[in-house]
Amino acid sequence: MLRSFLPSGATVHPASSRQASGDRACPSFCPIGRAAAGLWRLGARRFSHALRAGALLCIAVTAAAVWNAFLPLGIPWLPSPGNRVGIPRAFESSLPEINAAEALTLYQAGEALFVDSRDRKDYDKEHIPGALNLPQREWAKLWPALKGKIAKDRLLVLYCYGAHCGLSTRQGKALLEEGYGKLVILDYGWEAWTKAGDPTVKHPKAGNA
Amino acid sequence: MAALRRLLTHPIFLRAVGIVVGVVLVYASLDKIARPDRFADIVHDYDMLPLLAINAFALLMPWTEMVAGAALILGVWRRGAGLMATALTVAFMIAIAQAELRGLKIECGCFEVSGMSSSEASWSLFARDVPLLLGAVLVWRRG
Repeated sequence: MLRSFLPSGATVHPASSRQASGDRACPSFCPIGRAAAGLWRLGARRFSHALRAGALLCIAVTAAAVWNAFLPLGIPWLPSPGNRVGIPRAFESSLPEINAAEALTLYQAGEALFVDSRDRKDYDKEHIPGALNLPQREWAKLWPALKGKIAKDRLLVLYCYGAHCGLSTRQGKALLEEGYGKLVILDYGWEAWTKAGDPTVKHPKAGNA
Repeated sequence: MAALRRLLTHPIFLRAVGIVVGVVLVYASLDKIARPDRFADIVHDYDMLPLLAINAFALLMPWTEMVAGAALILGVWRRGAGLMATALTVAFMIAIAQAELRGLKIECGCFEVSGMSSSEASWSLFARDVPLLLGAVLVWRRG
């Protein structure tokens, strides 16, 4: 059987004669190759399921890459600038970020409606004067009543807690899907606004949605 | 005891368990595959991964569920798929438990991510994962 795989003229020595000749017929890499093959066989027997799980994982990675490349709401593999996660590639340019100074300019010009996507209790404690509270966690409950009351061409400045808060970005995505096109996110949100010493108000429930 | 052992190692029983676990995984993956952006939001809420890893995880994890589930349903590489299902279920349980222990009131993201019917991560969801884990381990170890 083995002979059929050997080049013509090659011979197979019995194991005893190989040992007797000190494996001289075998090239220098033979022991390494035999050891590797042995290890592979052992691994394949003992860890076959792990190897197959690895192969399935490779299939999953490939499928994810292909799917995401063609999905209209596909997301970049690494977060978009500003470390905002979960922003579809198609929305990236529609949700620009502004800093606290730019937000203050918009606030003073009265050009924009500030939307506070934090929880009700935090809004009630303190918020940006005139801001509308639309807690993102209650979006499903609150939005149907609010729909149509905000003009779609109104500039909306969305903010939430701070650096790692995704609520305003998530609200931005939801508003984009509702047809609102003029949206900006206040970078670092409430944290940046208060750090800059910009005006706040403590009226409870002044602008709850 | 011997009868239980015979049942748990019976090929037809193992095949059925594999199919049930597979169907759950495939069903759980569908919405996440359709809306990776929303699933990324939920992963972000769990606050377990660095920001840089969240999008990649949100893209890969549902496809891992899908591939493992499909392999279990089709009976292809069942033990490998069982190992993947076990790893996934353990990861879900760790995520839910840490959210509960830290008092995070967040969507589970278990089956639904694009609708508003998604349930909150809770101990009841953790308990729901236990039979899934047992099934996955059974298929992995005995499949």
